[in-house]
Amino acid sequence: MAKVLITDDAAFMRMQLKDILTKQGHEVVGEAENGQVAVEMFQDLQPELVTMDITMPEMNGVDAVKEIKKINPEAKIIMCSAMGQQGMVVEAIQAGAKDFIVKPFTPERIQESVGKVL
Amino acid sequence: MDTNQYIEVFLDESREHLQAVNDNLLKLEKQPEDLSIVSEIFRSAHTLKGMAATMGFEDVASLTHQMENVLDKIRNEELHVSTDVVDITFAAVEALEEMVASISEGNDGKKDVSDLVSKLEQLENGGSAPVSQESSSTSESQSSIEFELDEYQATVIAQAKEQGFEALHINVRLNDDCILKAARAYMVFEKLEDKGDLIQTVPVVEDIEDGNFEQEFSLLMLTKESKEDLEKLIHSVSEINRVDVSDLKVKDKEQEQPKAQEDEDPNKAKSEVAATKEAPANNQSAPKQSKTIRVNLERIDNLMNLFEEVVIDRSRLEDLGQKLKDQELIETIENMTRVTEDMQGLMLSMRMVPVEQVFNRFPRMVRGITKELGKEIDLEITGADTELDRTVIDEIGDPLVHLIRNSLDHGIESPQKRKEVGKSETGKVSLRAFHSGNHVFIEIEDDGGGINREKVEAKAIENGLLSAEHSEVLSDEEIYQMIFSSGFSTADQISDISGRGVGLDVVRSKIESLGGNIIVESEPGKGSKFSIQLPLTLSILTTLLVNVQQETYAIPLSAIVETMLLEEKQVMFVQGQKVIDFRGKVIPLVSLRDIFNVPTAEDSKEENSIVIVHKGDKMAGLLVDSFIGQKEVVLKSLGNYLRDIFAISGATILGDGEVSLIIDPNALVK
Repeated sequence: MAKVLITDDAAFMRMQLKDILTKQGHEVVGEAENGQVAVEMFQDLQPELVTMDITMPEMNGVDAVKEIKKINPEAKIIMCSAMGQQGMVVEAIQAGAKDFIVKPFTPERIQESVGKVL
Repeated sequence: MDTNQYIEVFLDESREHLQAVNDNLLKLEKQPEDLSIVSEIFRSAHTLKGMAATMGFEDVASLTHQMENVLDKIRNEELHVSTDVVDITFAAVEALEEMVASISEGNDGKKDVSDLVSKLEQLENGGSAPVSQESSSTSESQSSIEFELDEYQATVIAQAKEQGFEALHINVRLNDDCILKAARAYMVFEKLEDKGDLIQTVPVVEDIEDGNFEQEFSLLMLTKESKEDLEKLIHSVSEINRVDVSDLKVKDKEQEQPKAQEDEDPNKAKSEVAATKEAPANNQSAPKQSKTIRVNLERIDNLMNLFEEVVIDRSRLEDLGQKLKDQELIETIENMTRVTEDMQGLMLSMRMVPVEQVFNRFPRMVRGITKELGKEIDLEITGADTELDRTVIDEIGDPLVHLIRNSLDHGIESPQKRKEVGKSETGKVSLRAFHSGNHVFIEIEDDGGGINREKVEAKAIENGLLSAEHSEVLSDEEIYQMIFSSGFSTADQISDISGRGVGLDVVRSKIESLGGNIIVESEPGKGSKFSIQLPLTLSILTTLLVNVQQETYAIPLSAIVETMLLEEKQVMFVQGQKVIDFRGKVIPLVSLRDIFNVPTAEDSKEENSIVIVHKGDKMAGLLVDSFIGQKEVVLKSLGNYLRDIFAISGATILGDGEVSLIIDPNALVK
């Protein structure tokens, strides 16, 4: 199963995601509260998968995708979007994100997405 | 017998005969008593039958055979020419065109013609065929899939198939709970991007990008990938409910026959068949012999592209020659310039095709529409042999269809009304094409009611395009041009023939995108005339290069009236707008520096360099910093990312390697 880095500025969302992912047998190796931290942690932890919120302080998710892709073009990133962020999602996909999921998440949806990306 | 070597001849001749039958049928409808026309049609059908049977195309043969029987009866005055007869024969000709087109693509030309044959048999045996059955069986037998291709797309597909591509219909259904549909669809597009060429989508791409679709959308794609691979690939995207990949099926009928016409051109161009509508039909049986080869259009386009590179290098050499001042080098370059100019002429003439192939489809279209509208209208075509650049030909079809429909629907009055005002009940629409200078003109004239000034005025005021006071000072001409503004329709009733006011503005922008322009003239009660002016060719332009500060811009020579120097104090102001006096006319002065936000280094010169440009009879002065000189440039588009840049029509590479933007003066003259 995969080593995952979770990025979200809301601790609640991080907890929920971690819970779901762990139950599905993945290992959450790190939690970042904004894009900047995510980029740094990505470099240190080299996770197999990153989940990325879009709206965050310091550095938003789309910019973080671009930075991470600079470090490792092969990085696998799943965007976590809210409704109404279509444009941002498309931008992130263009930047190299592999998939996106829309809040609120269901475990099934996360399983599908993680399965397809890995 | 091995018949392959004859297939080209068979196809050429079949198309000629089918076109002749088409033309003659239209004539026959007008003069049902003229049995000599029937004989012509009979002969064509007979020749077709013979050829098809020899080649082993049974379905073509059996259909033409049955046509022949009916025609024979007519010829012997055992059967009267009725609308039914003409309609069914037309349907049969359409079916034949489809079969011939399919043969030309290398298929076996098989088609179920039993229905048509039985209808023709019925005719032969005296009874009239039930009309309802006709429409349902010939046109809408395959209604499950919704792609409709235009001529261009059909050609592209036909060519791609020759090169081993498959045209696939991909239907994607997203999960019902998928929320960001557009982003999901985007991912599907992204996956498919490098697998082939996307030809069409349903709904249109813009709608898909905006998420304006139910959970489902369809793509038409040219690809070499296998269906299974594509299905798998799309399934790798999340939230996909179902993917169906199947071979392309399109709405029957419409797309097959343009293909036939496309294929026809090289042949038409070379043999110069005088197939204008009025030409006597008996020259069709004369054997054609000419030394020509068929060349794929793509190769000519490639040649043209390469040649454009040569032109760019040539201007570079010219620059070098001037710099080095070496006499021998200069002479060589001059010679090369002459040769390349001749080459350019030749190459352009290869791309020229008679406008006939666009005009050809109109008689039948007019016939269909007039029936639908319950009007009686004659279409007169002149100058069908006028030649135009291939690119223009491909694009001009739709605007013309629109304008003709417009004339038929809004222009020509109903027979009763025509009678009331003392005109003949049959209306007349003329379609003309002719050369003049560096341009080709296409005119569509009708003898209908003309444009109603009051109605246009009222509508324009209502739509906020015009103020009531302003409208009084405008001439009739100026008012008429308002019909090209967007959101305009003066028809009292919306019919499905000519649109909902999203028409003429689209026509205008299409024509302008081809570097042409359109005007309308009209006389109340007498009719209206739409004139389209088109450039002969698109890709190589003669321009005037000018400097704006450190930047170089190219202005197409065709738009320039003259250049002049003007002292600062001669610039006047009207309502805060800079104007100049040009030969007694006050025209606006536009500073390119301001328009394009060119960074300013030095300022305040005594004299202004001005290029006077025109659009129709309106003019404007473009303020530049200095003139450089005349130059042939190759127009390159700015690509999809930089579409619709204000007042820029493209870019070119100059002799010194610098990129220069080409100005679209039409946008600057208001």
